[in-house]
Amino acid sequence: MTEPAIRVIDVTKIFPTPFRRRRVVALQDLNLEIAPGEIYGLLGPNGSGKSTTLKIILGLIGPTRGSVRIFGRDNSAVAVRRDIGFLPENAYFHKFLTGAETLRFHAKLSGLSGRETKSRVAELLATVGLARAADARLGTYSKGMLQRIGLAQALIHHPKILVLDEPTAAVDPAGSRDIQNLILSLKKRGTTILLSSHLLTQVQEVCDRVGILHRGKLLREGHLEDLLAIENQTELIVENATPDLLDGLEREIAAGKARVIARRKPQTSLEQLFLKVTETGDE
Amino acid sequence: MKPVLALILILAAFVPLKLKMEAACDRIVPGALSIDLREQIGQSAFIAVLGGFRSVMADLLFIDAYSAWERTDWTYLLLRLRQATELQPRAILFWEMAGWHMAWNAGTAAMEDDSKSPAARRRLQHDYLELGEDFLVRGIAYNPEKPQLYEALARLYRDKFHDHVRAAENFEKASRLPEHHSYDERFSAYELSYCEGREREAYDRLRTLYQRGEKERLPRLLNQLRVMEERLKIPVNERIIP
Amino acid sequence: MNSSLGRIGAIARTTFIELARLRVFYVLVLFALVLIISSSFLARISFQQELQVTKDIALGAINFFLSMLAIVATAQLLPRDLEDHVIYSVLAKPVRRFEYMLGKFFGVLGLLVISLVAMSILCLAVIHLREGAAVRETMQQLAQSPSEELDHALVGVHQAGANRDLVLALLLILTKAAVLVSLTLCISSFATSNIFTISAMAMVYLVGHLESIARDYWLHQRAAGWLVRAFLAAVVFFFPDLQAFNLSDQIVAGSSLSNLMLLKLLGLGVIYIVGYLVIAIAIFSQREL
Repeated sequence: MTEPAIRVIDVTKIFPTPFRRRRVVALQDLNLEIAPGEIYGLLGPNGSGKSTTLKIILGLIGPTRGSVRIFGRDNSAVAVRRDIGFLPENAYFHKFLTGAETLRFHAKLSGLSGRETKSRVAELLATVGLARAADARLGTYSKGMLQRIGLAQALIHHPKILVLDEPTAAVDPAGSRDIQNLILSLKKRGTTILLSSHLLTQVQEVCDRVGILHRGKLLREGHLEDLLAIENQTELIVENATPDLLDGLEREIAAGKARVIARRKPQTSLEQLFLKVTETGDE
Repeated sequence: MKPVLALILILAAFVPLKLKMEAACDRIVPGALSIDLREQIGQSAFIAVLGGFRSVMADLLFIDAYSAWERTDWTYLLLRLRQATELQPRAILFWEMAGWHMAWNAGTAAMEDDSKSPAARRRLQHDYLELGEDFLVRGIAYNPEKPQLYEALARLYRDKFHDHVRAAENFEKASRLPEHHSYDERFSAYELSYCEGREREAYDRLRTLYQRGEKERLPRLLNQLRVMEERLKIPVNERIIP
Repeated sequence: MNSSLGRIGAIARTTFIELARLRVFYVLVLFALVLIISSSFLARISFQQELQVTKDIALGAINFFLSMLAIVATAQLLPRDLEDHVIYSVLAKPVRRFEYMLGKFFGVLGLLVISLVAMSILCLAVIHLREGAAVRETMQQLAQSPSEELDHALVGVHQAGANRDLVLALLLILTKAAVLVSLTLCISSFATSNIFTISAMAMVYLVGHLESIARDYWLHQRAAGWLVRAFLAAVVFFFPDLQAFNLSDQIVAGSSLSNLMLLKLLGLGVIYIVGYLVIAIAIFSQREL
């Protein structure tokens, strides 16, 4: 059996509130196991404990009880973080640095050599589509550009694990789509990805498995299809069917002791519509 | 509990080391701190508020003292000189000028004040002389290594108090410090020669100076030697001045 | 070890660049420069000690502005990194917390050194010019006097002018500012806002100048009452003696600082800096981000 990329074992986190009796239980007996190469989505509303979970995994805060293992090693060792790239939520980075300087800075922190840094920075700037904005200060970047430079810094040292905190929050659908594509291409190269989100649709499209976190407890966990499928129902989407054909089908179904629950025209999602309209507008 | 323990250990190492090094760097003149704690803190708090501008403040007060002198406002002059010397007790010039203003300028002005009786004038002058003496003595306490203030004090005793013993003493103290004027030793000997009962000592000192060479053989030294040889009835064949 | 230095260097560099690109600090340094230049004009009104007043004002301005720069620049580092969430991306890399703190310290120190050099060059130039003028005036005034008196007067002028002690005073001003940086980091390590840090540092700055008096009273048991004594002990244990680095008193008197004393003072500075940095790192390492 291979060692899981991330293993969270019985983690409880209690934040003491100073001068008050009451304590805030942010996480309760959390167990997670994420296999290498997997994309895992942590879902939940704001304040459910997603960010706390990610910070504990990264060692930015310590658990009150329990432990975290990264490829079998305790996460308190600094060396463990060589394997992890992290995109914080809403990061603005150093506003007075340029995009290229930001990446060089993080490359140096990850221990990359001068030559590696140079090629890696150019490569990543191209990957996230910021080559032209490389020498502009981050203060002038849009939210989506900041998110992309954030992804680039998280990837600078070829991490085996990528941890993304709300990667597509406050990014427009096109930017969000780019990020999703990037995540999928990283998965092809075998990178393990853990992301948190309160937006369900984006998770739906990229995650292998999801966990639903609410008030510090993991309520449900599993493969997306398994969680969402209604076992005894089947959806049929038919193109160019005449009303006669559909009536005939309904009669067949009734004869087979099954039941038609709804008959309707499928709708495109607003997101799909937006993408379709903006794509044609671009051309 | 562990982090607290670590912090205690760090402090246990840091505090004694800090105190030891601070003691090694201490430059406070012993005995200088005789005022009440609260008064001291009040005064120093003011200094701390001034931060790096303490010297500047002292300079400005001293300049203001100068204009008080031009107005011959002696009370105001005294106040400003006190403040300037308190803020910057290491400035020799402040003490020297303070002593001089009090003893010479204010003292003389008191003697020329026609509105007062001669007795009152003398009393007032005496008060100013003592104020001048006080400035110089306190200045020396803060700066014991500076010859200028001993010289100033010696001049004050010589010219104003006509106290030759103390004038001789202070010229002598000045002469033992680095950077003193070459006349300090001669002046000390001259003053000593006016002190009754110490003529022999004074003569020996004058003689030693004479024997040092041409540079010391100034007209006044020769004259004083002659006077002393007369007074001590030195046999003619032993005299320096024939 | 090597890569640790590399990381500290990277954080220091970034901190320095960030501070250098903040325009507000140029205003501060500019203000000090204006004061230094104007010092020689202010000094004109002071008759016999122009040179001394020039020096007092220039040194006072450098001392004050470098201290302010140290406190203000350092106080906003951690709150900004927290607010912009940079601290997460940095500490999620293989960076130890002590490396982060040391990087911040050296970054600000770099800024202080550059500012001090700029101010010092101007200060030395102004004093040098005034010294030349003072020498010429003295020689004119005492042209008829014996050479001994002239020599004496010139020694006085040079003591008040640009000399070794002036450079030492500048060096100690830098030491004091570095102590303030480490102390500000110490307070930042647990503070939640930079307003708190700056107000706390304002108090530390004041009390730090009084520490030597508190120490004297505490050591000699001169204070009555356990409450006062406990207060004095707290001051003596935790606050630095900032007055020790104010050399202007010494230099005004023209009594030069011995090499031994200089070493002692630098040693004291290093003890403060290391002590407060270790405390800052210890607290910061425990902090939940």
